[in-house]
Amino acid sequence: MTLRFSSVAYGPIGLALVAFVAVVVWFVPSYYTGLLTLIGLYALVTIGLNLFMGYAGQVSLGQAAFFGVGAYTSATFALRAHITPWIGMILGALVAALVAYALSFVALRLRENLLALATLALGIVINVVFNQWDFIGGSSGLKDIPGFTIGSYTFDQRAYAILAWALVAAGVWFAGNLVRSSFGRSLIAISVGELGAQALGVHAERLKRQTFVLSAVYAGAAGAVYASQASYIDPTSFNFLLSVNFVLMSVIGGLRSLWGAVIGATVVVALGQILQNVVPLVLPSARGDFQSFFLGIILIAMLILLPRGITSRLSEARRA
Amino acid sequence: MIASLWQYVLSGVVDGAIFALVAAGFVLIYQVTGLINFAQGEFAMIGAMTAASLATAGMPILPAAGLAMLAAAVVGALFYLLAIRPARAATGVTLIFITLGLDVALRGLALFVWGTNPLSLGAFSSGNAIQLFGGALPPQAMWVLGSDVIVFAALYLFFRHTYAGTAVRAAVANPPIASTFGIPLRTFAFWSFVVAAAIGGLGGVMIAPITSATYDMGLTLGLAGFVAAVLGGLDSLPGALVGGFVLGIVEHVAGGLWSTGWEQGVGFLILVLVLVLRPQGLLGRAARRA
Repeated sequence: MTLRFSSVAYGPIGLALVAFVAVVVWFVPSYYTGLLTLIGLYALVTIGLNLFMGYAGQVSLGQAAFFGVGAYTSATFALRAHITPWIGMILGALVAALVAYALSFVALRLRENLLALATLALGIVINVVFNQWDFIGGSSGLKDIPGFTIGSYTFDQRAYAILAWALVAAGVWFAGNLVRSSFGRSLIAISVGELGAQALGVHAERLKRQTFVLSAVYAGAAGAVYASQASYIDPTSFNFLLSVNFVLMSVIGGLRSLWGAVIGATVVVALGQILQNVVPLVLPSARGDFQSFFLGIILIAMLILLPRGITSRLSEARRA
Repeated sequence: MIASLWQYVLSGVVDGAIFALVAAGFVLIYQVTGLINFAQGEFAMIGAMTAASLATAGMPILPAAGLAMLAAAVVGALFYLLAIRPARAATGVTLIFITLGLDVALRGLALFVWGTNPLSLGAFSSGNAIQLFGGALPPQAMWVLGSDVIVFAALYLFFRHTYAGTAVRAAVANPPIASTFGIPLRTFAFWSFVVAAAIGGLGGVMIAPITSATYDMGLTLGLAGFVAAVLGGLDSLPGALVGGFVLGIVEHVAGGLWSTGWEQGVGFLILVLVLVLRPQGLLGRAARRA
């Protein structure tokens, strides 16, 4: 079923996507280029989330926090120690991984309901830290975050879009190899039943931890690029609503699908844009985060009508 | 120092009483359906916003409070019928996501209806602060504590001394067998959502005069309710009461001694400690598979 769709070659399609983005950015206004970057970065987070939620069958409602940890790490190093964002990206992924590793000893003892609660709570605690820690800007955030450079060339919006999608291609390729290895099959075994998987010799606790940390690496790297691209971050950029959005991207694309993550991120970002532009025409009083109404309804509708995501439909169509 | 500490405790008791109401809703739904309703805080938001807008329109406070509870109960009923029941074959994680979707949707809906400006609700009764061993309780505290007493006493009487309450307990203890005895599980699930929403709505009405009502108050309040419920034990109503008060007091004391910005962080630190050290909570029975 879902495996059939995801058995499409990850590497070549990823490269084709990068090439497509590299062409498109020359023909669209820079606003849309920025959106393209955002889609790529969110897709990267969602790929990691799908490994943890879709393949390993766990749940995380705090993924925005890892995205934030990556962003704050890279931005802080760049502003305070003049470390280039290229290194910052690696440091961001690393620190996010360390945070996830430490949290995993609390969170991964729990399942379903309580795991959801714990990750939600940890995500909010991390956001409180962003808010309270003045060294990293406190509630007013960090501004004038240095951009990526190659030699004397500083990245513009086009370069960020290409970078983001190059990361997506690498991320899909890596995750694709992972899920087709014994590691991936073990994760699926865990999602079917942890006890059964353990009986078959799968070290469930270790694999869950590794996957959780890996999902944080994806989110942390994406966050680091986000910080430089946006050049401004504050704690509200990484709040609970963003975590819900990542879940929505995951669910829309299909939890156990890597391309689903890319599709989900595209749909959610595009939808957000459409809602932002269309709804005020119909309802002039609409303002603020009103899109969340539609996102919530879509999330519920998807789960009732198409619980395995858009890609499950696509793979059925391929089979037919 | 001691005097201000005592004052923090008193303020904590007021907040704690409200957390206990929200927590009671979680426990009710969890007991009957095994589901954690992530939208519970939004029921409180609906209660608070409805009461505040009715009162602003000139309605006396008590009927406004009653209608606000009714509004929350209707939303709870619709939510169960439209979203939970159609998905009843779904697994745990899917149901979690559905309640999460509702949480976000209700917050967005509140933005449409009420906008971003906070609404205020007058205190239920005027009068001076109540002096207690050198600390002061606002008059609203009596209403909050009174509604705790009424709600928890009513729940206790229902579960312990009515035929229907006994049937619900049977359904909680063993759903399949209760079902073969003709106990209507789905009807109970429906009513658990209605009653939990109404109690949550009451919590919102009670807190509105203290913090004022905003469209986004539900998340904070809901999270405090979670922490209280997990702290007391997700399957224990008395636990919800104890958990609420403990959380309220700890948050205020920590916030007062340290900094108010960390209040929520302290609450979650407690949550994490409880989840690790005693997942069944203070008063809960041995860990249920969750």
